Amino acid sequence: MVETVSVGIEGLNEALLKGLPKGYTLLVSGEPGSGTELFAKQFATAGIGKENVLYITTTERTEDIINTMHEFGWKSDMQIVNIATMYYEEILAKELEISKYRQEGIGVNDVKNITLDESKMRATNFLTLANYRVSRLKPPFRIVIDSIDFFMEIYDRSDVLSTMRLIKAHSQHHGGVVCITMLKDVYDRATQSGLEEIADCVVELQKEKTQLETQLKLFVKKVRNHPEKGETLLLEIGDKGFVAKPMK
Amino acid sequence: MTDVLAEKRGIQRERCKTGIEGLDNILNGGIPRGNTILVTGSCGTGKTTLSLEFLVHGALSGEKCLFISVTEPSSKLLANLIPYEFFDDRLIEQGLLVFIDMPALYERLGLRKTEFTFEEIHMLVNAISGIVRELQIKRLVIDSITSVCFQLKTEEKIREFILKLGKALSDFGCTSLLVSEISPAEQRYSMYGVEEAIADGIIILGNLERKGDLLRTMQVVKMRGTSHSRAKYVLDLTPIGILLVPLLKGGMGAEK
Repeated sequence: MVETVSVGIEGLNEALLKGLPKGYTLLVSGEPGSGTELFAKQFATAGIGKENVLYITTTERTEDIINTMHEFGWKSDMQIVNIATMYYEEILAKELEISKYRQEGIGVNDVKNITLDESKMRATNFLTLANYRVSRLKPPFRIVIDSIDFFMEIYDRSDVLSTMRLIKAHSQHHGGVVCITMLKDVYDRATQSGLEEIADCVVELQKEKTQLETQLKLFVKKVRNHPEKGETLLLEIGDKGFVAKPMK
Repeated sequence: MTDVLAEKRGIQRERCKTGIEGLDNILNGGIPRGNTILVTGSCGTGKTTLSLEFLVHGALSGEKCLFISVTEPSSKLLANLIPYEFFDDRLIEQGLLVFIDMPALYERLGLRKTEFTFEEIHMLVNAISGIVRELQIKRLVIDSITSVCFQLKTEEKIREFILKLGKALSDFGCTSLLVSEISPAEQRYSMYGVEEAIADGIIILGNLERKGDLLRTMQVVKMRGTSHSRAKYVLDLTPIGILLVPLLKGGMGAEK
């Protein structure tokens, strides 16, 4: 029997391999609003207390993550790497300064006797940073990357893919688990297939609007070596978060 | 246009005396003011030294001079300049000789990409000409233009950059030397071939092996606005600055 860990969502563990086998990478894709961010948090909290949890966010403020988790009564005792904040401080704030120089022009005193701090000039490579933080984790561990879209936007696709491959290899080697969220249907096929190929399991979240209500569904798109798996589950949100149920 | 007509009537354009021993004679009095000159050669041929000397002589005669260093930090360049007898560090204190590092300009303008867009090229030209106007610079050196060209990549962009910059500098009456690096085997005068076609003048520096000695040579290949010798000269880097002697004499010297 393979050793598995819980993905944190009742009903989904069964649709996978009675949980997520240690060393596996799970890719969660969905359209905006389909619940991938909440999924990421629920996945993270399922490991707290048993595993070292690393939560890499590229979109939210840290306090928003914690608050959301507390709303559902989830533990939030995990390492949060907030790339969104770092990106603002390092890149966007600088962009504002640059726009000033571009607009108002440069005087000699703006450039004379300027010793450029090479370390500050070279922008942080957030892919490297993510990889580094992952490499520092002590097993057993659980990694959440919410979301990969930020990296896709600012780095070469091939660089993002190879970093994801590295992270996966690292967690495979140490028996950790990884959850990566991604926007659905925005990348070219080669990129999307590349990521789905790296991932051991792929689930898609879907938000469907019927005449009367909005339904959330979860489609198990891939379970490595189990092509027969492919359930679509209904996702409901209770006061403890997502619950997955078989379709009626 | 008035310049052209004046030249036709035989009126000489105002000269920018380089102050370099021998070079002003070769150029019949100096570089026509406002020209953009390509100083080209492989490494170790004296391009930077010649350019610095050109600036120092300008500063000594009261002209404001600007050195934009692209590859080396200007602090390092200054250290190389101090041993020369003609150099006076008061020129820097008085603001007659100003050093700027191109990477500082790139940084301020947020030019980090490996290939600049046309918009970014215009920003760079505006930034450089803005400083030339602000300080009323009369002599400018960019060392090296080749390093800038690395980031322009295409011929169109290099042409755009040098033409726009040359025009702006010439409008301010600023005489400029653009340092261009080429490999020794190169048949052209510049790395991209575009620079040489646009420049108002080309001074080529080279190495010549003669009887076991490696001589530095200098030749003025092209200079708009003046008649000049096209002969090859031997360039000597001495503590008092550059000395130029006709090649034949230099060769005979080596035979002694």
